[in-house]
Amino acid sequence: MNRTSQSSSWGLFLSVLVVLALVAAACSSDDPADTTVGTSAPTTTAGSGSTDTTAPPATTAAPDTGTEVNNPGVFVHGADDEPSTLDPAQVEPGEGGETVILQVYERLLEIGESGPEPVASLATEVPTVASGLISADGTVFTFPLREGVTFHDGTPFTADDVLFSWERAMTMDLPDGAAGVLSDTVDSMRVVDDFTFEVTLQEPNAAFLNAVVPAMVSSIVSQDAVEANGGVVAGEFNEFMSGNPVGTGAYKFVAWNRGEDLQFEVYDGYWGTPANLDLRIEIGASPDIRVLGLRAGDYDTIEADPSFIGDVQGAEGVTVDGEGLTVEPIHIGFNLKFDPADLPDNDRIPDGFLNDPRVRQAFNYVFDYNAFVNAALGGFGDFNPHYIPQGIFGYDPAAPVYDQQDLAKAEELFRAAGYWDEGFSISVVTEEANLFEVAALVFKDSIDDLNNPNMEITVAAVAEAVFDDAHASDPVPYAMWVKNADPFADPNAYLDSYALPDGEWGEIHDFRAGYADADRVQTLIDSARVELDPAARAVILSEIQQVLFDDPMWLIAAQEGVVSARRDWVQGYISNPLWPRPSIRFALLDKG
Amino acid sequence: MQIRDYILRRLMVLPVLIIGVSIIVFALTRVGGSPIGVYLQTGMTQEEVTELEERFHLDDPLPVQYAYWAGGVLTGELGWSGVAAAPVTDVFLPKLAATMELAVSAALVAVVLGIALGTFAGARRNRLPDHITRVFSISGAAMPLFWFAILLLIVFWVYLGWFPIGRSDPNIFARIDHPTNLYTIDSLLAGDFGAFKDAIWHLILPAATLGYGATAIIARMMRSSLVEELQEDYVDAARAKGLPERLVLRRHARRNALIPTVTVIGLSFGFLLQGSVVAEIIFRWPGLGRWMADSVLRGDQATIMAYVLFTSVLFLVVNLGVDVIYAYLDRRVVLGE
Repeated sequence: MNRTSQSSSWGLFLSVLVVLALVAAACSSDDPADTTVGTSAPTTTAGSGSTDTTAPPATTAAPDTGTEVNNPGVFVHGADDEPSTLDPAQVEPGEGGETVILQVYERLLEIGESGPEPVASLATEVPTVASGLISADGTVFTFPLREGVTFHDGTPFTADDVLFSWERAMTMDLPDGAAGVLSDTVDSMRVVDDFTFEVTLQEPNAAFLNAVVPAMVSSIVSQDAVEANGGVVAGEFNEFMSGNPVGTGAYKFVAWNRGEDLQFEVYDGYWGTPANLDLRIEIGASPDIRVLGLRAGDYDTIEADPSFIGDVQGAEGVTVDGEGLTVEPIHIGFNLKFDPADLPDNDRIPDGFLNDPRVRQAFNYVFDYNAFVNAALGGFGDFNPHYIPQGIFGYDPAAPVYDQQDLAKAEELFRAAGYWDEGFSISVVTEEANLFEVAALVFKDSIDDLNNPNMEITVAAVAEAVFDDAHASDPVPYAMWVKNADPFADPNAYLDSYALPDGEWGEIHDFRAGYADADRVQTLIDSARVELDPAARAVILSEIQQVLFDDPMWLIAAQEGVVSARRDWVQGYISNPLWPRPSIRFALLDKG
Repeated sequence: MQIRDYILRRLMVLPVLIIGVSIIVFALTRVGGSPIGVYLQTGMTQEEVTELEERFHLDDPLPVQYAYWAGGVLTGELGWSGVAAAPVTDVFLPKLAATMELAVSAALVAVVLGIALGTFAGARRNRLPDHITRVFSISGAAMPLFWFAILLLIVFWVYLGWFPIGRSDPNIFARIDHPTNLYTIDSLLAGDFGAFKDAIWHLILPAATLGYGATAIIARMMRSSLVEELQEDYVDAARAKGLPERLVLRRHARRNALIPTVTVIGLSFGFLLQGSVVAEIIFRWPGLGRWMADSVLRGDQATIMAYVLFTSVLFLVVNLGVDVIYAYLDRRVVLGE
């Protein structure tokens, strides 16, 4: 060997040695099977308002089971988005923070393990007229409260905390929160005694017990924790509470490592059945990595949607199933109040076009529902009537539903309305790279199926923030858009948002300019809201679904299926689509 | 001109460049529209949107918004990250540390292996080791980073279970203090060898993935330079003097061959930072890259501006460093020849 090769060989030898040393050091590490992903970003730790990178470990003893599991003692869930807040007063329905709030906080009543009916939680019973806890006129509700409950900071739970929590949300009234759920309903509140709380409503409200009381915004927070950390300021969010939940739930918050994970430990002082395992929610893994993590056994459950099925079905040690439907229908909105000057340049929309019910019906007949459900949702989805999702009280399986593409009927309606020859060119705005964009593309293809060169749909797929900006504008600068509905537990919440002429979207889209009989729609929805007799209310809701079928303000592409992907070792799995995503109460689960 | 004067002159220009960069960063980010989108929720009323705009000073004229932002940068207040749900400043440093730890580890692998392989191949031009090194190098440069990363994950995480993803075992990570936010350094400072092993264990896959591409480029450049230098007259003269081949290579040819290679190493650091976005997403590494990618997708402009400003300044500083090394290696740079 000459000297040149000797010298370079030494360099190479040393380099390889360094790498091997690193590998050797790593290979002698603690048991890799018990190693999962980790932390580094600022850690917000329960009980402190500052960053703390020395959070205690979130572990307990492994369950006494015979099956070998990864991460014994801690349940690991692979989630999608980073929460934007963990404060019930600030969280938006459907947002990632609700997942945490469901586990850490409790409400007077909760949605039970099956169905939409509320069950007792911090209240000891569900008020009824028969028990005398609801006044005869349906406006005064009395809640007997549970004694012996303590918050995670050790303070006792009393009726004062309920009053404080609800008043706090309404006082803060944050634009990004859902305080309106309470303030639009509640007239007054009072503490009767330490363990009795009374609420008077503005008017009888059939949705109060199953949509207002169990809502995340109605969670009971520790008054002491709030007052010791910034208190309550109208219109301002509380930075401490947005990152440090202090509730009474089965899980006690430990740490939030931004971009990495949220850690919780079993709350030893829990009044009910304690959780089996500590909990770690790992944040931000892309869908492919979540699937790999599930297959590797590092995740016990993952946030999944129908597009995951093919990747995990049949994988060893993994169970995949579809149980029920989400209550967030994917819909295409018809904006009757657009300003032509705001629309994209190539849009061409005849005057009064979307105001004509026949046009909106035609669009509903055009859509290829089966293509969307079978292809985009992998068969995990279904159709639902306007505008009450399956699984919600009042859903009428006999109500008419748009579930088949009928091009002949669509053409007939376009011709009858006088727009077949004139046609249109409309841009449909949607978030890019998700199911909503697929729904928009299916819609475009469906219009193309009409073979009318004068009818054109353009899909404007934009970044989420750009879409949110457009979506929050009034008027919306597009004539059509695709997204999903917010989840609610009561039909009137949907109807108020998505059908009421003077409701949330009714005003933004100007439903009054489109409904053939707006007053009738308004009257029907108003009467359903105050009707306390379930049977009578169901009849009204059924009638509403018929009216909205004839005069649709939305094209409902589908109700997406709830897909569960989990390790075989997960025990006691139960899911309710009415619980915030991923529709799981982790305290009920075990593994082994 | 002395090297010291040269460095001082370059340092004096640096603040002007940074101010220029900050204006460009702010203006370009605002071209994409108002940053309000990341704070909006479905169904907000116009009044609520206005309230949010007031909260973040987005209703002020652009120069005023720039003044708020620039003032914030100077005082360490970079705004609120809608993606991280925390002040940008609070999140930035730990994530920067995570990214730097990954990038420096990858760079270490790339530089050490790249120079060694390039020297090894250059000294054996057109022989089997040279061909093997070429295949290795071209593969590293040609393979898409995301593909290679997922391949490694499937083999070493899912099937073999040898390496995890993420940055640490949460329980081990939590048992030590983190004064520098560099897990490897903090674990050594804490004298916790178990934590150090955990840090290395988690670094191997992402650093190998990221470092491979850069190794390939450095090795190719080193090899080419060395081959050229070995054909120079001064090398023949050194050999004719009877200098051992080992010393010819080490003291003469390799030192000169390092000049263009150092330039490539400087540029490779940029490659590593870019690549860290992909590596961090795939390996769930909690660094700036993944945070940035999320921020771009969600239009979190406070984060985007902080990141772009940081990387711009970093490039200015790295380039300055490369120029200084150049000056050290070749005095003609200082003399302006």
